Amino acid sequence: MTELIDHDYFAGDGDDLHVVGTSVTRADALGHVTGRTQFFEDLLLADCLHLKMHRSERHHALLKRVDVSGALEVPGVVRVLTHEDVPENWYTVLRLIGVEPNDQPVLPEDRVLWRGEPIVAVVAETEASALEGAARVEVEYEDLPAVLTMEEALTEDAPIIKPHGANCFIYEGHPCRRIRFGNVEHAFAQADHVFEWRYESEPIEHAPVETTGCIVVPQPNGRLKIHSNTQAAFFTLDNTALIIGGPFNRLQLVGGTVGGGFGGKVDVIVEPIACLAALATNRPVEYVYSRLEEMQVSSTRSAEIFVVKDGVMADGRIVARKVTCYMEAGAYTGHTTYGVTKCAAHMPGPYSIPNVWVDAYCVYTNRTPTGPMRGFGVTNADFALETQMDRIARALEMDPLELRLKNAYRDGDLKAHRKVAEGAALVEVIQRAAELTGHELAEEYERMSSLTHAGVGV
Amino acid sequence: MLETVHVPPSVDEALLALRDGAVLMGGGTTVMPQVNTMPVEFTEVVSLRRAGISGIEVVDAVATVGATTTIAEIGADERLAFLRPVVQTFASPPLRNLATIGGNLFVPQPGGDFGVCLLALDATVAVAGPAGTRDVGVAEVLEHGVAAGEVVTAVSFPVPADGTFFYRKAMRRRYNSAAIVSVAAVLVREAGVVRSARVVLGGAGSRPVRAKAAEHALVGKPLDDASVAAAATAALADATTFDDAFASAWYRSRVLPVHFRRALLGG
Amino acid sequence: MPSRVIELVVNGRHRELLVRPGMSLLGALRDGLGLTGAKRGCADGSCGACTVMLDGKPVLSCLVAVETVDGAAVRTVEGMAPDGPLTELQQAFVDGFATQCGFCTPGILMAAEALLAENPEPTREEVVRAISGSVCRCTGYTAIVDAILAGAEARRGVTV
Repeated sequence: MTELIDHDYFAGDGDDLHVVGTSVTRADALGHVTGRTQFFEDLLLADCLHLKMHRSERHHALLKRVDVSGALEVPGVVRVLTHEDVPENWYTVLRLIGVEPNDQPVLPEDRVLWRGEPIVAVVAETEASALEGAARVEVEYEDLPAVLTMEEALTEDAPIIKPHGANCFIYEGHPCRRIRFGNVEHAFAQADHVFEWRYESEPIEHAPVETTGCIVVPQPNGRLKIHSNTQAAFFTLDNTALIIGGPFNRLQLVGGTVGGGFGGKVDVIVEPIACLAALATNRPVEYVYSRLEEMQVSSTRSAEIFVVKDGVMADGRIVARKVTCYMEAGAYTGHTTYGVTKCAAHMPGPYSIPNVWVDAYCVYTNRTPTGPMRGFGVTNADFALETQMDRIARALEMDPLELRLKNAYRDGDLKAHRKVAEGAALVEVIQRAAELTGHELAEEYERMSSLTHAGVGV
Repeated sequence: MLETVHVPPSVDEALLALRDGAVLMGGGTTVMPQVNTMPVEFTEVVSLRRAGISGIEVVDAVATVGATTTIAEIGADERLAFLRPVVQTFASPPLRNLATIGGNLFVPQPGGDFGVCLLALDATVAVAGPAGTRDVGVAEVLEHGVAAGEVVTAVSFPVPADGTFFYRKAMRRRYNSAAIVSVAAVLVREAGVVRSARVVLGGAGSRPVRAKAAEHALVGKPLDDASVAAAATAALADATTFDDAFASAWYRSRVLPVHFRRALLGG
Repeated sequence: MPSRVIELVVNGRHRELLVRPGMSLLGALRDGLGLTGAKRGCADGSCGACTVMLDGKPVLSCLVAVETVDGAAVRTVEGMAPDGPLTELQQAFVDGFATQCGFCTPGILMAAEALLAENPEPTREEVVRAISGSVCRCTGYTAIVDAILAGAEARRGVTV
């Protein structure tokens, strides 16, 4: 039987490990197989109201007229909410960590920036009447020019779709997040080879089987209890409190049971308006996405573009890496500014490269606002970087694992964003993977270690 | 908004319940998604589930299948074993227990797999209406539907002799996916030569397409690589492919000849 | 909008409930009877999370207008182990880590039970076909198929 703990690498660490290496039943498995696990919608309330949204049909338009009278005529509709009903009409989900400016309204006041943007909330006794009411809202639009790809958004004469005057987020006065380490142009001039390739990806929808939603229940003591499938309970509670006003401890969030999140349930998107509906009616309110809304309206992974230019010596040392990358925020910032920062900090990958230049852009388009997904900011980056490594290896007729071993970062190396590498283990992982797959490495690569620079020409 | 769901116990009562604007429902696979997720215009639905028009009879090699017979029931009937490739590529087991052969006539491509097959089988559709009953070729029902107030009660078709029915459905996934393209054919051979051919394409237009040019290219020739290749090219001329979430028109046209060949020759 | 009383035999018990026009069997089970094991993932028949047994056959309960099945027998995941030990199938899911978020699990268990009722010794391919109506976004399906095969073996009395 294979030893589950590597006692060579973790010498002395194994003595107090009693769970690692054993098989432990999941705590939630019993509830899942008996159908007893309580997802938010499994909360059954006799007098729950239902909230459905009237959404923008245009990519980019001014709102000339919003007429809710048709909705109010539908039997069963009890309340309609517009931006006027929102005390602090800003999402800006990252403002709790100081990211500005306020960028995304809970409900838009004068314009819409993407097809699917919520405009009017209709609250009714049944889902059917809420859907009917939402369909009866009439909106008159004045179309504005729309940009639907990052390339369109960044062309010189592109229509500017954001009030701060640019189609990209401004990082401390710059149009992109920047890393500057050494002198890439000088290194390119010295390199034996210069390779430049481009990588692209499209938006990806998380498509959880459980759609986004919440039920907000007014409590006898004036608080609101929010039952939500958010992955981000504290983001949700704090941002909701900022939006609806009043002390944070007015809200109580019951959550943690998520029917598939993958990063798609961190947007605080249903709870604030459902809370306002609950306050306005003093009744429980459910706001749950339909499957269509989950696919088209809920956040996706960003579309991304990477251009990676490497200066490489004949022996495989990468001496310079210049990365220009673009992540599509869609119509609003959301979490994407943070994703772009993560992406920039991730460069140039797990390799010690003495000259690094990164320009990482957060780009606005008139598309569904994007969000995190499985390795936010780094998954697509790694696809680009590791494909690049394979292509370099092929061009140099070098073993792709040996190329990586030669360039892998070691403990004590200074990374491009000025953090010192510690606990590096890429070398050992590659060596072990090679061993397990029967991939032979030349002896000098077998002898490499994360703890020394032996075998690496510096 | 929906106000009434009628569940009549007979066709006659179904016809009575079909007042202006009432929507017919067989298995519910197209009506219920609307009722569940959007504001519906219609106020009344007439369910045929209990109207007594399900069941399979085979007499003198002619099959008569009640309109509300489910796809799963068809798949379980030994006498219709030739249709198993169609059943097994049709949606998923829990949906097959609901979807009806009659309802499938009204599902636009790239759904409506049974419509494609029934056209290849030269099926006849029994229709009941306020003025009485009539039989009509399935082509007409696929193209024009039935009149308001009418109900499809059964479909009938000759059971093809062994080795004369061909079917292939190309999908994006192994199971539970609509057609990129599909091909259904009944080819009768005599002395090694195709004597008659009915070939129908799915995913090649909003309704099943009778591939007449392909049929013409097959008749009078042996069923071999050369004749099938020529027929596959001709089939493209019969097709008007379209874009949707499953495949682009370009892709459908690009792969249609390949799946056409595989349907008739295997591989 | 007149509601109607309909009867169902659910997990062996006679139940009466009030239903609104157009209410699905899924809605009736969840909101009418508090049986929330069957889930709403799409409401259009594409995800399988609502799968239950109707008169002995697995169906997508979101597509069944409950008024059209008055008097029918329904089995849900709650009826699998109503008051005690898990069935071999459920235990195999627990032991085999065949659940993650758990949202697809009741529907898949129902589809698997339907399979084993008519085919106690399915092949791997038959299992895949039987659960092809259910979407799982978490596990990648392999552990689920393995668990169904293991549960089937356990039920046949074969030691794995």
